[in-house]
Amino acid sequence: MILGNLGNSLKETFNKLARLNKIDKKIAEEIIKDVQRALLQADVNVKLVMKLSENIKKRALKEEVLEGFDAKEHISKIIYEEFSNILGKVTEIELKRQNIMMVGLQGSGKTTSTAKLAKYFQRKGLKTCVICADTFRPGAYDQLSQLCKVHSIPFYGEKGNENAVDVVKNGLNEMKEYEVKIVDTAGRHALEDDLIQEMKEINAVLKPDHKFLVLDAAIGQEAEVQSRKFSEAIGITGVIITKLDGTAKGGGALSAVSETGSSIAFIGVGERIDDLEKFDPDSFISKLVGLGDLKSLMERVQESVKPDEMAVEEVLKGKFTLKEMYKQFEAINKMGPFNQLLQMIPFGGFGIDLKDKDYEKTKYKLDRYKIIMDSMTEYELENPACFDSSRIRRVAIGSGSDIAEVRDLLNYYKTLKKAFGMFKGGNIRGLPGKFMKMFGREIKI
Amino acid sequence: MFKSLREKLSSVKESISRTIHDKDKEKVTSLEDEIETISKKEDLSKEEKAQKLGFIKKAKTFLLEGESILNEKDLEEPLWNLELALMEGNVALLVVEAIVSSVKSNLIGRKKKLLAHTDEIVEDVLYESIKNVIKNDGLSFDEIIEKSDKPVVILFVGVNGTGKTTTIAKVAKRLKDKGYSVVLASGDTYRTGALEQLEIHGERLGLKVIKHQYGSDPSAVIYDAIEHAKARGIDVVLADTAGRMHTNSNLMRELQKIKRINSPDLTIFVDEAIAGNDALERAKLFDEAIGLDGTILTKLDTDAKGGTAISISYITGKPIFFFGTGQSYDDLIIFQEDWLLNKIFGNDSEEEN
Repeated sequence: MILGNLGNSLKETFNKLARLNKIDKKIAEEIIKDVQRALLQADVNVKLVMKLSENIKKRALKEEVLEGFDAKEHISKIIYEEFSNILGKVTEIELKRQNIMMVGLQGSGKTTSTAKLAKYFQRKGLKTCVICADTFRPGAYDQLSQLCKVHSIPFYGEKGNENAVDVVKNGLNEMKEYEVKIVDTAGRHALEDDLIQEMKEINAVLKPDHKFLVLDAAIGQEAEVQSRKFSEAIGITGVIITKLDGTAKGGGALSAVSETGSSIAFIGVGERIDDLEKFDPDSFISKLVGLGDLKSLMERVQESVKPDEMAVEEVLKGKFTLKEMYKQFEAINKMGPFNQLLQMIPFGGFGIDLKDKDYEKTKYKLDRYKIIMDSMTEYELENPACFDSSRIRRVAIGSGSDIAEVRDLLNYYKTLKKAFGMFKGGNIRGLPGKFMKMFGREIKI
Repeated sequence: MFKSLREKLSSVKESISRTIHDKDKEKVTSLEDEIETISKKEDLSKEEKAQKLGFIKKAKTFLLEGESILNEKDLEEPLWNLELALMEGNVALLVVEAIVSSVKSNLIGRKKKLLAHTDEIVEDVLYESIKNVIKNDGLSFDEIIEKSDKPVVILFVGVNGTGKTTTIAKVAKRLKDKGYSVVLASGDTYRTGALEQLEIHGERLGLKVIKHQYGSDPSAVIYDAIEHAKARGIDVVLADTAGRMHTNSNLMRELQKIKRINSPDLTIFVDEAIAGNDALERAKLFDEAIGLDGTILTKLDTDAKGGTAISISYITGKPIFFFGTGQSYDDLIIFQEDWLLNKIFGNDSEEEN
């Protein structure tokens, strides 16, 4: 996740601030040191960190804490705004006829991102093709052509032709009919003069509407210099951050955006072709300051699950039986990698710190629950209250689990039912908090 | 390469010694001022003046010839600068903290002659601290190849896009030049184009590549390559694997299986010098999952700051065998700690880039 959860790292300092209504120099300095450390650990450029933190400190001391806010909220707001200044923009991707050029360092993930991006435009209904201008790396042609073949993306490339500029020229001619043409180029770095020259020539021929700099989330302090040099050579219109499914914090992206004066367009979150997301600055910054990202969680739910699958109607009406719970487990599975989903939930704010191991445990537990529920009768699923010890024993034997596990499941159901009960009275305020507290407590095994 | 880290460290060094120097100098100057004021005072008798001056002059002599002790407060600012310099040099925060605290504990309480040059003290302390992190007494890569029973099986692992396949080609070329026979195992059966990539390298270098189809079991491919090497008396098997995220436990288990079945003599972690703090995290997780014997650090030609070498050495405690420094087969240099230390602290101004 980009920058991780800065809110988490600041939690201790923030605790000192709670209920204070004034910020003095000593506390401001303490907070700033923490902010600096968190940002530096996330690989944000050192100079940028200094600039950001200086601004935050100045404003924290100068600006009055607004009525009704405590010092913690005051600082959160300032941090939020300062980050918005740098990251608040998003690269607009119009759904129209366009040429796109992918550039970046070796191994940053250009080729994979090229295919993902082509799929993105295809999903949006645009006729999209890919042109392979990486004539340098052995196997590059095969990699892209195979990727495109698997995912039914029209592909142009010339095996054996080492002149990338010519390939692009020919490709533009051959693929005229396509609305979106994405050109993948060879990896290069700022000191390789001949390759930088080649990139400039491709740029001149292609006249791209978008020039995306593909950046590995793990890149360190080097991000600043490299992105500046790319920007100087051809101008960058957007940044794609890749490999955010690991532990890298992607702070290099912050430097890149600030150096190139552009913004983040997409983020890559996995190896599958659909693992490319449009960057959403609002939810990103909320996450950063520790507010959690309920917004993108909800979006994700809406995108991948049809309402009836989630049993939303029934739940809102107050009906929540084991059947509805089962449907929700299935919906969660459909929403993709479980831990990505959980990361969007603001655990940080509730003192629950989920590690990868816990995610796995939770997922395992939910899978077990489903197996147990498969051994229940229709009547039992609809009427969970009917469970007595004989029914529990039967289900335990039938599902190959034991009595304790079945009881566990029934308790879990009760907790969730209680949580969902709150939806009924229209008591929305504070609901996510209460709900997550319960959900979180259950999850912490 | 390493130029900026060197410059940063040398400016920190100066700043530390300047702080110390200034502090002493201030004291002496203030004493000198006092001497002057007293000498100019007219309401004092000669005896009184002499008495006062004598005392102050003694203090001054004591300061000039005596020693002072460094305390924490003196070092606060310079050490923060050191921290920043290392971080700008791409050293991971955890390692930066370890180095800084070692420098700190070595400097605090140290006596030094007032107004003497402190550069050397500071440099020695810094040098030792970094040396302690990167030093390794193990065998060199060449020695390992020479001493191991043939065929020597080497497994290359790492996250996506760090340069495993390219590195294998470079290592193969190096071994071939030294007179060893080499076979390549195409253990990346996942990424499209990976088989072809290794095959092209094999063709160019005149080496056999053992491969199955995409989607086949990498353990089996590598097993076949080892059998092939045994049957033909080939010296070294270099086994490629698919890049994988250290957080993907299924893929990490696949690596454990590869290791279990093929028991490689060396498991080499390939990472890129441009990686920042995450280099620490992934080296750690790879090491925990499968056990690493050493590292090859790639993409040093990007003007990378070299801090990654320090981070990875620190966390794995294993040697760095080579640096990858470019796109051609010969762009592979042996890592030597003296060489790195010289790059960071030395005066050699000659820069490759």
